[in-house]
Amino acid sequence: MSVTEAETLELDLDQPTGLWREAGKRLRRNKAAMIGAAIVLAFILLAIFAPLIAPYGPSERVGSLAAVPPGPSGEFLFGLDEQGRDLLSRVVFGTRLSLMVGLVSVVVGLSLGMLLGSIAGYVGGRVDNVIMRFMDLMLAFPAFLLAIGLVTVLGRGMWQIMLAIGIVQVPIFARLLRGSVLAQRQSDYVLAARSLGTPGRSILLGHILPNALAPVIVQATLAMATAIIEVAGLSFVGLGPQDPSLPEWGRILADNANRLQSAAHLVIFPGFAIVLSVLGINLLGDGLRESIDPRLDL
Amino acid sequence: MLVFVGKRLLALIPIVIGMSLVVFLYVRALPGSPAQALLGERATAESTAAIEEELGLTDPIHEQYINYVSNIASGDLGLSIRTRRPVWDEFKERFPATIELSMAAMAIAIMFGVPLGFLAAKRYQGFLDNASLVTSLIGISFPIFFLALILKYIFAVKLGWLPSIGRLDVTRDLAHPTNFYVLDAILAGDSGAFWDAVRHLILPAVALGTIPLAIIARITRAAVLDVMNEDYVRTANAKGLRAAIVDRRHVLRNAMLPVVTVIGLQMGLLLTGAILTETVFSWQGLGLWMLEAIRFRDFAVLQSGILFFAVIVTVTNLAVDVSYAYLDPRIRYR
Repeated sequence: MSVTEAETLELDLDQPTGLWREAGKRLRRNKAAMIGAAIVLAFILLAIFAPLIAPYGPSERVGSLAAVPPGPSGEFLFGLDEQGRDLLSRVVFGTRLSLMVGLVSVVVGLSLGMLLGSIAGYVGGRVDNVIMRFMDLMLAFPAFLLAIGLVTVLGRGMWQIMLAIGIVQVPIFARLLRGSVLAQRQSDYVLAARSLGTPGRSILLGHILPNALAPVIVQATLAMATAIIEVAGLSFVGLGPQDPSLPEWGRILADNANRLQSAAHLVIFPGFAIVLSVLGINLLGDGLRESIDPRLDL
Repeated sequence: MLVFVGKRLLALIPIVIGMSLVVFLYVRALPGSPAQALLGERATAESTAAIEEELGLTDPIHEQYINYVSNIASGDLGLSIRTRRPVWDEFKERFPATIELSMAAMAIAIMFGVPLGFLAAKRYQGFLDNASLVTSLIGISFPIFFLALILKYIFAVKLGWLPSIGRLDVTRDLAHPTNFYVLDAILAGDSGAFWDAVRHLILPAVALGTIPLAIIARITRAAVLDVMNEDYVRTANAKGLRAAIVDRRHVLRNAMLPVVTVIGLQMGLLLTGAILTETVFSWQGLGLWMLEAIRFRDFAVLQSGILFFAVIVTVTNLAVDVSYAYLDPRIRYR
């Protein structure tokens, strides 16, 4: 029996379960995480099928202009806004914007952060020093202030805002990746790969990154929640998406902040849309963290 | 210990220089010129040029930077373009407002967060534990301005229990030697003003303190759980020490290390939250100051104000590091 055959036999006997399968099992047993996953899934479906679910278009006028917009009724479940648009439809379509902001900004933060962090961790030395000092510098500014600063320079288009929120997240991902890469670099399998003559780039891409990924995925999930809250916050201080017709949750809420007395529904519904989506993502992210590293029970 | 602190202080120098450079470039990168913001509709080519000349905006960029740095170093922060008052004077009024608010928020967060986390850990996986986990997760998921709006609506508008905006009743006369209004009232021996200031503080502080409260509760829970399984706790219990003593001397004292760190690291979060909370409650602090400066392109305020923010965060982080090194001697020698 050759060596490979022996290995195969052994593998069959042991039914090896990898990190991810184990984590998946733990995740499915975690009730809170499953509730979170259900909420997130519901919002994703809302976003995809918004035109089918929303009774009207997001900018469609179905009532008359009103200083005191009518609240929830049988006909309009969430009530109308001051321009006579159906609030339910606006909130449903707003799901698309919020999820997109979360997704795109995390992709920006994650890809830039991963690039910088893994280079810093793998190359080390002066490169590491320069990159990480710059990241420290970014972290010295409170995140929301940094986002405000970037938006005022880049402009208030939807893409600029997503870019700004993404850039704010870069140092967090860079630090995380660097730490992970440094830890993995010392490991035996990297030494083995190197002694086999594997070029540096494939060691980094093929060996180190996949193993350093677990905490990054958790952070990415939680960063999505932060992004949704941040874009709403930007809208609230008047630095959100410029286009007033966009049904952005934070914007709807901010525009009606002083109508709480007369038309509370315009604040409450978009507000709870934010809370619920963020809560769902946080529950899922927490569950992921616990399932990937059960010791990190925070 | 001194060596450790000295090293950390030295390491701050390049960071602060970097920060000043970033802030300087940022303010220059802003669209719209301060001269135009200042003149508004009345702007003509000549008056714009005259103001730019006066503000030194026509100098070469590196000279502007050198001017900026040397002015800061000599304590001259210039005049606010909008109010024509010295930036430093405005800062002296605004800074205590934000610190007062942040301190009150942090006090609430610690007062409720630590006991909550401790009790949750003691009743691990019991009802209280699960309830506090869920509550804290909901707390973290609330956008701070939404929470602030709801609190303001319920307790100020509907119930009328607490004032909705500002730091003090407008009709009240109080000297402000420190600009910490609660402290000012104590110094003046004016109990009416004291309670007025405290009542104004409650809603914004609760709104701002909720997220740190939730985070502190979670960290405390995790830390206490960790420590409760340590051998020395088992030993203390085994030798018959009363449970309250074990909790206080053995569990809490050791569990506080990570909690202290987290408390320090909340400073950035508090300042960020202050921007939003101050907006909701018209609290005349640093956050509103910055937003107004952005709106009016007030370069002078912006380039100092943002730097203040960053320096506050950096210094707090340093203080956390130092206190941690003090609490845990192993860190000093690393």
